Amino acid sequence: MSFTSWSYPFFLIAVVLLYWRLPLRGRMTFLLVASYGFYGVWDVRFLALLLTSTCIDYYCGRAIVGERASPRQVFAAASLPLLWLGGLQLITLHSVVSPWVLALAAGFPLGFTAIYQALWQGDEARQRRAFLLLSILTNLVVLGFFKYFNFFGSSLLSLAGQLGFTPGWTLPIIILPVAISFYTFQSIAYSVDIYRGKAQPARDLLTFAAYLSFFPQLVAGPIERPNDLLPQFTKAAEFNWEHIHRGLRLLLIGAFKKIFVADNCALLANHVFNGQADLNAPWAMIGVVAFAFQIYGDFSGYTDLARGSARLLGIHLNANFRFPYAARGPSDFWTRWHITLSAWFRDYVYIPLGGNRGGPARTVGNLWVTMLLAGLWHGASWVFVLWGAYHAALLTLYRFVPWLRHLEQVEPPAPAAASTSPPSAKRAGVRGRAALASAVMFTFTLLGWAVFRAPNLSGLGDWLAAFANWAPVADAWLKPAGWLALHVVPLLLLQWATRHTGDEVELPDWPWFARGLIFALLLLAIASSAVSEQEFIYFQF
Amino acid sequence: MRAATKPFLCFVALLVGVELVVRVFFARGMSGRFDYGYHPTAGFVEQADGTVRLERAGGRRFFPQHFARERPADTFRIFVIGDSVARGTSVASSYAGQLGEMLRLRGVKAESYNLALPGFGARRKRLVLEQALNYQPSLVILHINGSNEFEDEREWRRREEFRGWHPRNWLMKSLVIRRLYEMKTERVYWEWLPASVRSQRTVSDADAEVQASINPEKNRRWDELLRQQTAVSVRLAREQGVKVLLVAQAGVGKSPEGTPCLDDNALDALATELRGPSVATLSMKETLARHDWAPLYADGAHLRPTGHRLLAEALVLQLVEAGFIPAVVK
Repeated sequence: MSFTSWSYPFFLIAVVLLYWRLPLRGRMTFLLVASYGFYGVWDVRFLALLLTSTCIDYYCGRAIVGERASPRQVFAAASLPLLWLGGLQLITLHSVVSPWVLALAAGFPLGFTAIYQALWQGDEARQRRAFLLLSILTNLVVLGFFKYFNFFGSSLLSLAGQLGFTPGWTLPIIILPVAISFYTFQSIAYSVDIYRGKAQPARDLLTFAAYLSFFPQLVAGPIERPNDLLPQFTKAAEFNWEHIHRGLRLLLIGAFKKIFVADNCALLANHVFNGQADLNAPWAMIGVVAFAFQIYGDFSGYTDLARGSARLLGIHLNANFRFPYAARGPSDFWTRWHITLSAWFRDYVYIPLGGNRGGPARTVGNLWVTMLLAGLWHGASWVFVLWGAYHAALLTLYRFVPWLRHLEQVEPPAPAAASTSPPSAKRAGVRGRAALASAVMFTFTLLGWAVFRAPNLSGLGDWLAAFANWAPVADAWLKPAGWLALHVVPLLLLQWATRHTGDEVELPDWPWFARGLIFALLLLAIASSAVSEQEFIYFQF
Repeated sequence: MRAATKPFLCFVALLVGVELVVRVFFARGMSGRFDYGYHPTAGFVEQADGTVRLERAGGRRFFPQHFARERPADTFRIFVIGDSVARGTSVASSYAGQLGEMLRLRGVKAESYNLALPGFGARRKRLVLEQALNYQPSLVILHINGSNEFEDEREWRRREEFRGWHPRNWLMKSLVIRRLYEMKTERVYWEWLPASVRSQRTVSDADAEVQASINPEKNRRWDELLRQQTAVSVRLAREQGVKVLLVAQAGVGKSPEGTPCLDDNALDALATELRGPSVATLSMKETLARHDWAPLYADGAHLRPTGHRLLAEALVLQLVEAGFIPAVVK
C-alpha cells in the first residue's frame, strides 16, 4: 500500500483510532497485524522472507547477550515462514509459491535450529561473535540474492559471452521484494548494536516482529537504530494531542513534497532522461534540476509521511533530511541527505574499516569502499556504482584541495547573532562565502544526480553532450522552466521560512494565522496536483 | 494541549470560507475537465465583446479560434464537427480551413471553423453540434467515423465514476479544489508543457480498445449508436434550418486479395440513408479513389494536408451541387 494511494488515509485512520484504545501488548499485536497487512498488499509471499529475517535476528540478538532459547521455541518460530506459505497455498488453491521456495521454507526450521544449537559451542566471546556473524551474513545473503542476483548474474553472463562462452541456459529472474534494503540494514544495526553493548535485545518475538515490520518506516526507512525505536515499543506512549498535530503537519508537508513537488518535477526529469527528447543545454539543465527536486521531494516527502504516520501513533522516527541542497560540501551533504543511511554506512562500514584513523591513504580507501557500497545499495546497476564513485571522488577532492576544504568549513553566522548585532562587512563576507560554498556543492550534486538518473552510460553521455548545444530544439524550454519554478519555489519558500528550525514542519516564529494560511495553501497545492498515484523512487531500492 | 489549535482552526476556516465563496460566486464557468468531453459548453467561451472563443478546455482540445456570437449578415458560416481526421494538424491545413479559403476565393463571404476534436465519437460530436447551433451556422459539416465509439464510452464511464462516491474522487467534490485543479491543468499544464512532456501522462487504453474492437456484440451496439446519434444530430440541425453536409470517413483497409484499398466501413451507406432536403453527403472513398490516394494518408485513417485539400475541393463542388452556395458568385 502506497502512502499516496486513496486507501492509505482510511487504513491509517483505522489504525490510529484502534491503536490508542488498546493496552501495550494489544498495541504490539495490532501493529504487527497492521504492518503485515500493509506490506502484504504488495506481495503476501514476501512476508515469509520478513518472518525469516525476524526469526533469525530475534534469536541471534538474544543469543548475543547470552540468552539461550530452547530448541523447541526456535523450531516453532522458524516454522512460521513455512506455515505462512503453506497457508497461502491452501487458501488460494493455486501454486502461488514455487516448489523450491516451499522446500527451502520446509528445511529452514530444522536447519536454523541445528545451526542455533551448534553455535553455542566454545567460549562466550566466540558464541557472541558467531551469532553476530550469523545475523549479518543471513541478512547480507538475503539482500545479495534478491537484489543483486540478476545484476551480477547477467554481468557474468555478458562477460562470459565476450570471452566466447555461451551457456545453453538462462538465469532465473529474481523479483526484488519491496523494503528488503531497509529492513535488512535495520536488522544488521540491531544485532551489531547489541553486540557492541549499545542496545538491549527485544524482550519477546512479538515486540521484535512489530519493531522490524513497523509499517510507516518498513518500505523506505528511515533506517532506525534499536535504541531509538525499540524502547518506544516496550513502553506505551501516552495519548497527547501534540502527537496528532505534529503527525498531521508531517503528513501535510510530506504529501506536498511528494505530490506537488516531486511528481510534477518528474515530468520534466523523465522527459530529459528517458532518451526520447531532443536536448540542448537549457533542457539538460532543466532536466537535472527537476530531478534534484524530484528525488528530494519524493524521498523526503516519503520520510515525512512515514514520520507523520508514526507520530500519530505516538512514535518518533528520526529525520532523514536537513535541507541537503544548502550543504557546503560533500561531508556536509551526507549529514543532511538520507541521514539514517549515511549514518548506517558510517557506523557499520566506514568506522569498522578504520575510518580516518589510518592516515590519509587509508582514509581515502575507506571512503571509497564505503561510498561504492552506498552506491550499490541504491540499486543493482553500474550507474549507481558510478554514482557512489563520484561521491567518493568528491569527498576526496574536498579533502585534498585546500580551497574547497576551506569553503566547506565556512560557518554562516548564527541567526540569533545576525538579528542582534549590526551588519558588518565581515559577516556579509562569511555569508557570501557560505552561499558560494552551497552553490558550488549544489552544482556538484546536480552532476551526481545526472549520473544517478541517467538510464545508462550512453544516456549520461547524451546529457553531457547537450551542454554543447545552445541552438533551439523542437520544444521551447522557457515555459517548462516556468513549470519547474512553479513547483520548486514554494518548497524553497517553505524552507526559507523554516530555516532556523532546520525542519520544514516547524514554523514556531510565525503567527498562528500565517501558519493556518500556509497549511491551507499547502493543501490546495497538493489538491491541484492530486490525480495520479506515482510510486516513490526509493521503493525500488 | 487542546484538540484544536488556532492555526488548525484558521486552516479549516480558510478552506471552508474559500469553498463557500467559490460556490456562491464562481460556481459557473467550469471548464468541464471532469465531464470528459460531455460538458455542454466546455471549450466555448462567450466573451463580453460579443465574440466566442474556442479553446482547449476539459476534454475538448479545440484549435484556438474565435468568431462573433451573432453571425454577420450575408456571411456563410461553416462549422466542421468531427474527430481527429477532420481536425488535421492545424486549422489552416485542415479541410475546414482550406474550404473557407476556397470559398472566399470564389467570392463567397465565408467563415469556416474547425470544431473537430480528437477521439470524439457520435455522442460527443452531437453535444458539440448542439452548442454550435447556438451560433447561427449556415452549414454544419459532420464528419462521420465509426472508430471513436470506444473512447466515447470510456470517457462516459470516467465521467460517471467521477460523479460517484469512490474515495479517489472525494477531494474533487470540493469546488475550490476542482476549480484550482482545472485552472492549473488548463492554464498551466497544457499551456506550459510541450506535448512530448505531457504525453507521459497519456493513458494508453490500446489493449482494451483492441479487445473491445474484436467483440462483435460491442461493434453491433456501437454501429447502432453511431447511426442513432448521427440521425439525431442531423435532425437537430434541420430543425433549426441549418444545412448539413455529411462526410463519410474512409480509411486504408485490405481487399480480399490482401492489397491496400479504401474502406468506408459502411459509412457511405449510413450517410446516403440520412441524405435528404438540406442534407448533402460526401464520400471520402469516392473522392479519394479518383486520385493516387495512398500518399494522401499519414496513417491508416488520417489525411495529410494534401488529402485535406482534395476533400476541400470536393466539398466546394458538393456545396454547389446541393445548392448550398451559388455556382457563380458576382
